[in-house]
Amino acid sequence: MPRVRDDYEDDLDEEEGDEYGGEELLDDEEEAEDEEEDEDYDAGEKSAKKRRRSEFIDDAALEDDEEEDDDYGGRRSSKKGRGGGGFIDDIALEADEEEEEEEEGEDDFIVDNPADIVEDDDRRMHRRPLLPREDQEEDVEDLERRIQERYARSSQAEYDEETTDVEQQALLPSVRDPKLWMVKCAIGREREVAVCLMQKFIDKGSELQIRSAIALDHLKNYIYIEADKEAHVREAIKGMRNIFGAKITLVPIKEMTDVLSVESKAIDLSRDTWVRMKTGTYKGDLAKVLDVDNVRQRVTVKLIPRIDLQALANKLDGREVAKKKAFVPPPRFMNIEEARELHIRVERRRDPMTGDYYENIGGMMFKDGFLIKTVSMKSISTQNIQPTFDELEKFRQPDERDGEIGSLSTLFANRKKGHFMKGDAVIIVKGDLKNLKGWVEKVEDGNVHIRPNEKGLPVLCSTSELFLQYSKLVLSVCLLLSFFMQKTLAINEKELCKYFEPGNHVKVISGSHEGATGMVVKVEGHVLIILSDTTKEHIRVFADHVVESSEVTTGVTKLGDFELHDLVLLDNMSFGVIIRVESEAFQVLKGVPDRPEVVLVRLREIKSKIDKKLVAQDRSKNTISVKDVVRVLEGPCKGKQGPVEHIFRGVLFIYDRHHLEHAGFICAKSQSCLVVGGSRGNREKIGDPLSYLRTPQRVPQSPGRLPPRAGGRHRGGPGGRGHDSLIGTTVKIRLGPYKGYRGRVKDIKGTTVRVELESQMKEVTGKDSSRYGMGSETPMHPSRTPMHPYMTPMRDPGATPIHDGIIGKKRILLRGEPPGSPPSRTYDAPTPGSGWANTPGGSYDAATPRDNGSAYVNAPSPYLPSTPGQPMTPSSAAYLPGTPGGQPMTPGGGGLDMMSPAIGGENEGLWLLPDILVNVHKPGDDAMIGVVQEVMADGSCRVALGSDGSGDMVTAQPNEIEVIQPRKSDKIKIMGGAQRGSTGKLIGVDGTDGIVKVDDTLDVKILDMGILAKLAQS
Amino acid sequence: MFFHIILERNMQLHPRHFGSRLRDKLVSKLVKEVEGTCSGRHGFVVAIMGIEHVGKGLIRDGTGFVTFPVKYKCVVFRPFKGEILEAVVTMVNKMGFFAETGPVQVFVSNHLIPDDMEFQSGDTPNYITSDGSVKIQKDSEVRLKIIGTRVDATEIFCIGTIKDDFLGVISDPGAAA
Repeated sequence: MPRVRDDYEDDLDEEEGDEYGGEELLDDEEEAEDEEEDEDYDAGEKSAKKRRRSEFIDDAALEDDEEEDDDYGGRRSSKKGRGGGGFIDDIALEADEEEEEEEEGEDDFIVDNPADIVEDDDRRMHRRPLLPREDQEEDVEDLERRIQERYARSSQAEYDEETTDVEQQALLPSVRDPKLWMVKCAIGREREVAVCLMQKFIDKGSELQIRSAIALDHLKNYIYIEADKEAHVREAIKGMRNIFGAKITLVPIKEMTDVLSVESKAIDLSRDTWVRMKTGTYKGDLAKVLDVDNVRQRVTVKLIPRIDLQALANKLDGREVAKKKAFVPPPRFMNIEEARELHIRVERRRDPMTGDYYENIGGMMFKDGFLIKTVSMKSISTQNIQPTFDELEKFRQPDERDGEIGSLSTLFANRKKGHFMKGDAVIIVKGDLKNLKGWVEKVEDGNVHIRPNEKGLPVLCSTSELFLQYSKLVLSVCLLLSFFMQKTLAINEKELCKYFEPGNHVKVISGSHEGATGMVVKVEGHVLIILSDTTKEHIRVFADHVVESSEVTTGVTKLGDFELHDLVLLDNMSFGVIIRVESEAFQVLKGVPDRPEVVLVRLREIKSKIDKKLVAQDRSKNTISVKDVVRVLEGPCKGKQGPVEHIFRGVLFIYDRHHLEHAGFICAKSQSCLVVGGSRGNREKIGDPLSYLRTPQRVPQSPGRLPPRAGGRHRGGPGGRGHDSLIGTTVKIRLGPYKGYRGRVKDIKGTTVRVELESQMKEVTGKDSSRYGMGSETPMHPSRTPMHPYMTPMRDPGATPIHDGIIGKKRILLRGEPPGSPPSRTYDAPTPGSGWANTPGGSYDAATPRDNGSAYVNAPSPYLPSTPGQPMTPSSAAYLPGTPGGQPMTPGGGGLDMMSPAIGGENEGLWLLPDILVNVHKPGDDAMIGVVQEVMADGSCRVALGSDGSGDMVTAQPNEIEVIQPRKSDKIKIMGGAQRGSTGKLIGVDGTDGIVKVDDTLDVKILDMGILAKLAQS
Repeated sequence: MFFHIILERNMQLHPRHFGSRLRDKLVSKLVKEVEGTCSGRHGFVVAIMGIEHVGKGLIRDGTGFVTFPVKYKCVVFRPFKGEILEAVVTMVNKMGFFAETGPVQVFVSNHLIPDDMEFQSGDTPNYITSDGSVKIQKDSEVRLKIIGTRVDATEIFCIGTIKDDFLGVISDPGAAA
């Protein structure tokens, strides 16, 4: 042991010696006393008074010491044995040094500290259960009670808290303490010299006036000797070999602590940590540390061999092969049999130290297929090693269990700051409290205070505790103290791991699955298996990479310019939708309708993103646009239903929430799908005027899909999120006492909107007239007008600017507005114009007609070919409310009342007219063709089934009725606009416009297909 | 677990319903609006058992709609961690199987299926014991234990286990037929 103590100045010091007896040099006498004291613990007598913090830990050491004594039969021999043999453990050495350092100042600390009596008393009490004595049980309760009492008392003074900074300061060496001398010695003989000094001390006893001798592994050529005077040092080293007394330097007091500070780096590299090779064939490979030789700075690691057996065989046979450096053999386990077949000599050797067998091939050692290699510490990197699962799996194959815990120690080293947070559930993975679970209470750097979830902790410290480094020493003391304070335990964060139970909902915060959330399905040691929320797939992650969270996210959703669920054009001109984003590639569901085809595509293989808003036609020639809900009628995904996410080249990508494969995406031909009605639940809402807007029955002309689409578009934008998306948007109040105010929409109920004004701290209730003002929300007016924009699919691109212009600037009509608009169904042609015109007019102030004009021209022009005049002119009167064009649309109140359910029913009825052909969709039945016979006041219709109306009479609700769109040269009935009720013949179809020859007047009109219904043959 | 609780809701009623059948209308509307919905706090509203109390209606400005605070008794279903439920298997795949108990979807991961049951793909994918005596396939009824729940605004999703005593298949569609 590199520590020599000259004499003991007082009792305290003696005690000191005893405490650290495990590594100390002691006289027999002292030893005897030591033993005695052990006995004394029971009674808690004199000696205990002098005990101090560190001793809890050292009990174990003491025991250890005793055991050894028994083994060797005599103290001296044991000491000698140690000195000569490999007993000097590196860690122990460090620990010892630390202890030494600590104890130096400690005497002062105790004398100075008035609370020490109390503290010591407590400690004495604490100490007792630490030793397993026979009489331990008899007064446990009594003991407990006393502990409680004492603790309660001492807590007032709070001295039991761990060492404060001031106390730590007090431990630092001062001028009165012995000094540290640096003495030169032969390189590589540092330890030997220290041991020799120790031996000398043993032999000569008190003659030697040095206190200790220290050999540091990282310091070559020197040892430190602690002594009061330089002369003492000279005296001590006199006549010794390998030590050069010529040069003795004093270590300045300030630097003394640095001499003995433990290098933290050395601790990092311990057995079972994962490292990566820095150089050579194995560069970048993961390796596991088997053994560390700190003296020679070498590490024995286990690797997966990259050996080309053939090349090896050739080499061993003496056939020189041309060295091709370019080729690095892939890692794979060494197969001895294979090697033998190639006539490679395999020696089987037993390692004298461990007793394990190794295969030796050409100077390389193999065990269980792994290559065992001893390399320099410099050639491995130990920081930031993040072994992937694959790598770990490989390492785990042969030795099942080991891999787990080993991987952890490295993982811990890579933790970010603030890894643990208050409330985290943790488990202790190392040390004596292993497997203790608890919750994080407080985090200080390096240490985490946890509240254990178990009462009655076992308090015994085992031998291993002794050998832990200084920090741990303090820590363990805190640990014990805090235990007695019934509060929290302070644990080094390296000893903690997060703990999860199956069923926890977690979020991955680092690693390859970063960002994903899911529920823990299984806990395998420190690996969790998580069921992802979105993909419903299993993910394997380290417990350390996860936090508990209630959030639901997908994880990585973006790579390069492409995001999850984007429609992309692939290199080979095929296309598909991204259904999963991996670290470097995407999984793409290709646009092949026949069968689901998933390909893995790299970023560079994607040509571009397809962002076009295209439309397609379904089986019944209805226009399908994005977000329309369709049902798949045939193909592998028959029966599935969901909103269309993408349309391209007649292929639809439908998102079905209930479809679990391919992230819920279904690929189908547009021809094999059918559009279904508006979004779920809307039609259920009685009394919600909006529902009328969304339900199909409102617009009989075609198949009930336009209104939802239109509604969705204008209300919530392409997201089709429904009206609620207004909440949170900023609006401008258009009319009423609050006219001109801006505010945020807080709530929407029916047609009233609560707006939080920006300028005044209050909320006001108003009517949401924006729907009407925007025109789009009132299908009844515009749709009846022949050219109404939104019946034409072309409106989409154009609608966007309008939409953009409006969104966030919807107008709210405040209460108390005079409604009073003329019945909306009476006006026709100018309506669309005015409708659109009003919209921008309202949203921008009327004072800036230029803007209006431009916005306006942008928007509706594409679809208003026939009514260019009035609305197109920016200066048109249409901008002013009250002008004929604008008026009907402006007072939202009026429009709204029209919409209110009471009248609404009637309104709806008017859409349908007798004698038109319709499809009746009764729930549970297939669609049946029928002829409307009569339209009831409540909107329902009496329909005679059969294409000629010869079948049964049924009563159908408006939402069950779908108007059959006429084809060219069909007889038709006009259901909207000025010509409503007239019959005619469809002489041509141009896009969504129908060319109609009206029977009565024989005029040829161009009308929207939406308001044309096929007339039953009579 | 099912609970019989009293909840409150503000109902908006259109003036056209005012009259002798106002209460009926209110109730039917309530049933329509509430039954089958899911709230994180109470779980799924399975059925409305009755109206406890209808408060005074308040006429909304501008619309004429009337808001009634309605207290109603209802049965709610909310799965809890550790609860044992019986469920019908709806889908089996290599990751495990999905089952439904009423409105609640439960996923049982293959890690939570007893180790002696193996996945067999094919026409009807299933989990089967090596001796073939127990088989989990679509429409099997299983008894499972909930080990985790995730509550969204509109649905409750659970993961369950059958890796415990007395859990597993309780009736086989094949056997019944």
